[in-house]
Amino acid sequence: MSDDRSFVAEAATSILQDHSTPETVRRVEHRGWNEELWSVLAESGFTTISVPETAGGSGGDIADACVVIKAVGQFAAAVPVVETALLAGWALAAAGLELPIGPATTGVGQSADTTELRKTAQGWRLSGRLHRVPWAHQAERLVLIVPVDGVDHVVSVRAPELEILPGRNLAGETRDTVVFDDVPAEAVAPAPPGVSVEALRLRGALGRAVATAGALARVADLTVQYTAAREQFGRPLARFQAVQRHIVRIAERTQAAGMAADTAALNADPDPDFFDVAAAKIIAGESGSTAAAAAHQAHGAIGMTKEYELGQLTRRLWTWRDEFGSESYWSRLLGQQVVMDGASELWPRLSTGRVPHGSTRSQA
Amino acid sequence: MRFDTTVLSPAELDLRAAVREFLAAELPEDRIPALGMAAEHDPAFSRKLAAAGWVGMAIPPEYGGRGRSAVDRFIVTEELLSAGAPIGAHFVADRQTAPTLLSFGTEEQRKYFLPRISAGECWFSLGMSEPDAGSDLASVRTSAKRVDGGWSINGTKVWTSGAHLNHYFAVLCRTSPANGDRHAGLSQLIVDLGSPGVKVSPIPYLNGTHSFNEVLLDDVFVPDDMVLGEVGSGWAQVTSELAYERSGPDRFLSTFNLLRYFIAEHGAEYVDDAAARVVGTLSAHFWTIRQLSLAVARALDEGRAPAVEAALVKDLGTRFEQRVIELMRTVAETEVGPGEGSIFQRLLAEAILTGPTFTLRGGTTEVLRSIAARGLTR
Ligand SMILES: Cc1cc2nc3c(=O)[nH]c(=O)nc-3n(C[C@H](O)[C@H](O)[C@H](O)COP(=O)(O)OP(=O)(O)OC[C@H]3O[C@@H](n4cnc5c(N)ncnc54)[C@H](O)[C@@H]3O)c2cc1C
Repeated sequence: MSDDRSFVAEAATSILQDHSTPETVRRVEHRGWNEELWSVLAESGFTTISVPETAGGSGGDIADACVVIKAVGQFAAAVPVVETALLAGWALAAAGLELPIGPATTGVGQSADTTELRKTAQGWRLSGRLHRVPWAHQAERLVLIVPVDGVDHVVSVRAPELEILPGRNLAGETRDTVVFDDVPAEAVAPAPPGVSVEALRLRGALGRAVATAGALARVADLTVQYTAAREQFGRPLARFQAVQRHIVRIAERTQAAGMAADTAALNADPDPDFFDVAAAKIIAGESGSTAAAAAHQAHGAIGMTKEYELGQLTRRLWTWRDEFGSESYWSRLLGQQVVMDGASELWPRLSTGRVPHGSTRSQA
Repeated sequence: MRFDTTVLSPAELDLRAAVREFLAAELPEDRIPALGMAAEHDPAFSRKLAAAGWVGMAIPPEYGGRGRSAVDRFIVTEELLSAGAPIGAHFVADRQTAPTLLSFGTEEQRKYFLPRISAGECWFSLGMSEPDAGSDLASVRTSAKRVDGGWSINGTKVWTSGAHLNHYFAVLCRTSPANGDRHAGLSQLIVDLGSPGVKVSPIPYLNGTHSFNEVLLDDVFVPDDMVLGEVGSGWAQVTSELAYERSGPDRFLSTFNLLRYFIAEHGAEYVDDAAARVVGTLSAHFWTIRQLSLAVARALDEGRAPAVEAALVKDLGTRFEQRVIELMRTVAETEVGPGEGSIFQRLLAEAILTGPTFTLRGGTTEVLRSIAARGLTR
């Protein structure tokens, strides 16, 4: 890790350690997010990390943002860093639009979403309905990519003025339905090349994969600690071979998800790569399922209580699997791509792991 | 526990390109690729590979090797395995025997064996398992008695892969009674498989081939200069030997060519959503596990001792190799028989028949997990 990046990691971790303790996570869950943590992260510039300073962000690259996101996952923090920095902030900056002060979010491209952007005498007007928008309730701006006459436009709307039907994910984080009926768009600009709904989804998937890797690391630690401390039949649970199996399985999945997510993040320079992110999201999702099951099994009933930390993490593992495309979604796309590229390209691509900074993608 | 992402250097990428070019030239297009390390014995191929500098890479130049890094070795090995190359003759000697000789062998042994191994001309089997000693290797009963000028060895080794083809095997045996400490009194002797008193008989392998053997040792004379390492240190030697060689590309690439030939034979138009999902899932895993395995090689080069990491990668990798078979089966929807049909179908048949081996050889899944668990819960 570069020195700058280790500094970011340390600083973000120390903030999260103070402001996203298991008690805090439990206390703020009914509100759907951790507002106080958000202000502290924002003061330190972590909420617009990777958005260029010239555009009003705090600079850095995607890999820098990902170390913050990993820590967010590790501490089960309910804050829209992925949405504000990696998604909305990126799209606004790319289109030359102003960044809001405060959280921002985007539509994530659900199949049932509808949006229509029209130019009228009074300016741009937007109608439609978006589903499971992360943190719409908390966002200052909702950023959308909407086609007008076949050309994608980046649209910024003041979120507090929209009709929001509240929803939650399995971890209690807000995932709302947003309804607009001929509302004014605050700013509209043509989307530059590469700024598309697919690109948002890829970035969102990277964000969830990275956060999952963070949460898994904590699940692994927690399970090792708990099974060492808890005794049954006169010895620590960790001494039983069957329990060790769970511990090892969690460790394997944690390391696999970490490796895949880190590689995808480090290679995302300047933009995430499709293969990397698809692979990372698949591995993160599967790892989340396997590790959550093993961790609950190893913990017994205590893990099933709302008091205990494990559930804050496993509920995120479960819910993040499906956000921005499930394993099933990404494996289908990835498989189609791999098949299209053909058998002779398979090994060269699989053997291209982390690539040097600024190099072309394929090492083959 | 630590796994760092790794960037291959320009020199490493050049090495890879050179190996790819070599393999493209050497291996006929229409051959049936091997499933990993269970590959054909092809002495000519091993010699050519050695001439190119890609056998004995971990052996220092003073012993006829190439003195290359673990990552360089990793790169060559993964290219060979992904191509399904016929590495059967030299692979074990190169992977396992050479490092043991380097760590524990006498100067004379190194001078004698290492240049031959590096040339791809000296092949070894492993003489660890016995009828009553599998995972519990310390319970071996094969024993050696002191005789004039050396040792006389008696006992039975089983599952000895390639003993009918190779020149030597390193035999773990008891050289003095256990006396309470079962790990004491064990030694490794290098036995010439052509010695009088050595009887090699095939044990038919599940796929119908002759792969492993029973090796009877009946008063076989082993001269003093063929004792590998210290008399009585056999246990420490075999356990250290196993530790780091566990997580190489041979632990996740055994079934790679199933996926490759599935794609080759089922063009894009025949791959439906379900099959695409399987291809995507498997690609994601190959890509990830490879990087974990590469991280272990890099850690070795940096002077770390990633024993727990290696055990984890082997467990993940070998179970994944088996999962590839099952997932390919579900999407291929085909009936297969040994040696029948297309390359993919032959590979699938072979993989089904030999797949259980992946999580047995080189330390079973269960035993690896207890090693890993000990490291994790320490
Ligand atoms: C194709 C093939 C090639 C081989 N080639 C060689 C070779 O060249 N040279 C050589 O020396 N050996 C070779 N082997 C042998 C291999 O190393 C052994 O199969 C392996 O060490 C397991 O020993 P075992 O088969 O006796 O099983 P066992 O040790 O009897 O184990 C049976 C089952 O019990 C489990 N078990 C055992 N002990 C424990 C424990 N403490 N905790 C939990 N579970 C346990 C095992 O994991 C396994 O699931 C080969 C094996 C195969 C399949």
